[in-house]
Amino acid sequence: MTDDGIDIGGGKTRMEVAYGSGDGDEEAQAIVAKREATLGAIFEQSYRPWEGELGPRWVRNYAIFRHHVYGLFRGTGHRHYHPMVKLIILVILLFSLMPILMLFLASLSVGGEMADFFGRMWGINRYNLWGQVLGYFPRNLCCWPLLTALVVGGMISDDRRNGTSAIYFSRPVTRLDYIAMKYLSVAVVLGFVIVLSYFAYYTSAIIFNAEGWAYLIDTLPIFLGGLFAGILVVITYTSIGLALSSISQSRFFAAIAFLSLIYGTKLLALLVDTQFDSSILYILSPYDCLAHIGQWLLGIESNYEHPLSFSIVSILAVNAASIGLLAARVSSLEVTRE
Amino acid sequence: MGREWDGGPVITARNLCKMYGPHLALDDVNLEIPSGAVGILGPNGAGKSTLFKCLLGLIKTTSGDGTVLGYDIRTEGDMIRSRIGYMPEYDALDPGLAAVDQVRYAGELLGMNPAHATRRAHEVLEYVGLKDQRYRKIETFSTGMKQATKLACAIIHDPEILICDEPTNGLDQRAREFMLQTLRRTVSEGGRSVLMSSHVMDDIQDVCDRIVMIHKGKIVVQRRIEDLAKQVDREIEISVWGGASRMQAALEGRGFEVRRLGRVLRVGRVDDSTTFSILEAAVEAGVQVRQMQEYEPDLEDIFLLIMDRLGAKVRGTSELMTEGHTGGGPLD
Repeated sequence: MTDDGIDIGGGKTRMEVAYGSGDGDEEAQAIVAKREATLGAIFEQSYRPWEGELGPRWVRNYAIFRHHVYGLFRGTGHRHYHPMVKLIILVILLFSLMPILMLFLASLSVGGEMADFFGRMWGINRYNLWGQVLGYFPRNLCCWPLLTALVVGGMISDDRRNGTSAIYFSRPVTRLDYIAMKYLSVAVVLGFVIVLSYFAYYTSAIIFNAEGWAYLIDTLPIFLGGLFAGILVVITYTSIGLALSSISQSRFFAAIAFLSLIYGTKLLALLVDTQFDSSILYILSPYDCLAHIGQWLLGIESNYEHPLSFSIVSILAVNAASIGLLAARVSSLEVTRE
Repeated sequence: MGREWDGGPVITARNLCKMYGPHLALDDVNLEIPSGAVGILGPNGAGKSTLFKCLLGLIKTTSGDGTVLGYDIRTEGDMIRSRIGYMPEYDALDPGLAAVDQVRYAGELLGMNPAHATRRAHEVLEYVGLKDQRYRKIETFSTGMKQATKLACAIIHDPEILICDEPTNGLDQRAREFMLQTLRRTVSEGGRSVLMSSHVMDDIQDVCDRIVMIHKGKIVVQRRIEDLAKQVDREIEISVWGGASRMQAALEGRGFEVRRLGRVLRVGRVDDSTTFSILEAAVEAGVQVRQMQEYEPDLEDIFLLIMDRLGAKVRGTSELMTEGHTGGGPLD
């Protein structure tokens, strides 16, 4: 070998036989092939340089966030959400705003049994605030997991399936930025529906009933307890959903796995509770752990027999495990090939 | 856009090693790549992708160091990836997006302002020949159009180095020629450097003037193609019509070294008079010489010769793309 590699001096090149059926020793006749005419096209190719400046890290990160969130509101140009997905998310949002309508109706009926009924059912109290975030069946128990399943479905699995992770990681986007921005995108969409509807519900109760500062001061701690519970729901569902999205190449798998996890663990715990009169298995159900913590935050009587600390530890463990899985799977996304 | 480049080698590596567990993927790699077009050759699993990942600053090297445009590959990966464009081998496009949106998003991920990225996306899509298709969804694109879109994504920020992993993969003849022409123009007109890997030697020869060849994680050759070709024995190739055996005998009778396959004969070139001697031999043997040319060894010849010297007995490059010639399982 020479300094810069192997020496091929004196080497013989390969040989390829000429086109034809014989070896050249036979008598043969030539066949003249007619050249195929080619179609011309008017196209002038010229390379144009670009002199612009590239923005800093937050500009890149905001681009990821915008791509995923704007897709919900715009038809083209950003991440594609199926029209049915958009429609279902809209229905869930409207469904979560239903109590506002009932509050409005209650504000129209002055005195009497109807006003009292509306007030108890939809007025601001600890139970209704807890219910707005976690309690009502089927709205919150079914709608929030369905909403999460629809939003997280292809969030990372699409990148794995289409190889678009290479678009991110061949650019100065770190895996931490990638995870953080995907996480934030999902959390903002979920928060928009879950937390914003909760906020709208509380404020509309004040506006429709023309409540004063004293009412606000009285109910604010309860409201903040519910708000914290809502944020906890958003964080936990986002963590679990993204972790499931990161382990597959299919939107459907991620969505159905999330629904199965939420409902499956709840159903299992319910069956055990019914048969053996023990609520301990509810610590396996993320929904029930959140509900348990939510009840404590809003100061209402717990439905669960096991200690609150079990539910808190369970939620922390579920979030830690989900984020750990998410980080591990994202670090396995390749730039060169899968 | 950061540090100004002084015009020296765009890529350097010194004693670069990368191990995956016990497996040595890059073995003491020393590189010095000047600006221009460079072809990266090597069988599957030889370490090309690992080398690309090291140069992009995506993986930590086990030992050794290197620079890309003066930036350290171990600590300044972000800066490197801002200044180079990478065109991956496999599909890396969102099928639900229109081409212009995909390219714009690729620019935004580099930190380009959305308005600038949109304007530039139109420019580069025109450059890669997709001006009329830029509003079509990528899911409706042919393989050639997808490859062109990937190229547009890679050059949106006018990178100083463009790394193309198998840019002609799956392309028909026409699309392939256009892709190669575009890469050539990026070097000649744009003044950019292109680092291109391909299994098709003709593609590398069309675009690149230098090659770097990797085998079992080692750099076995890094030199100009022209210089390598000069090392190979010169021959004159003739195609004869009838009586090839007589022609071979006549030439050998005159003391020439002759290799023959069917009606094609290669005659070792001794000096300028070799051509006349061949024609005299043809008259003597009574055969027609239909074609006579000095045989220029192409890159495939060089590649095969190198592989032969390395002990890999193969008849064509297609045979080299197997694990049997890479010393075991794929390395990257």
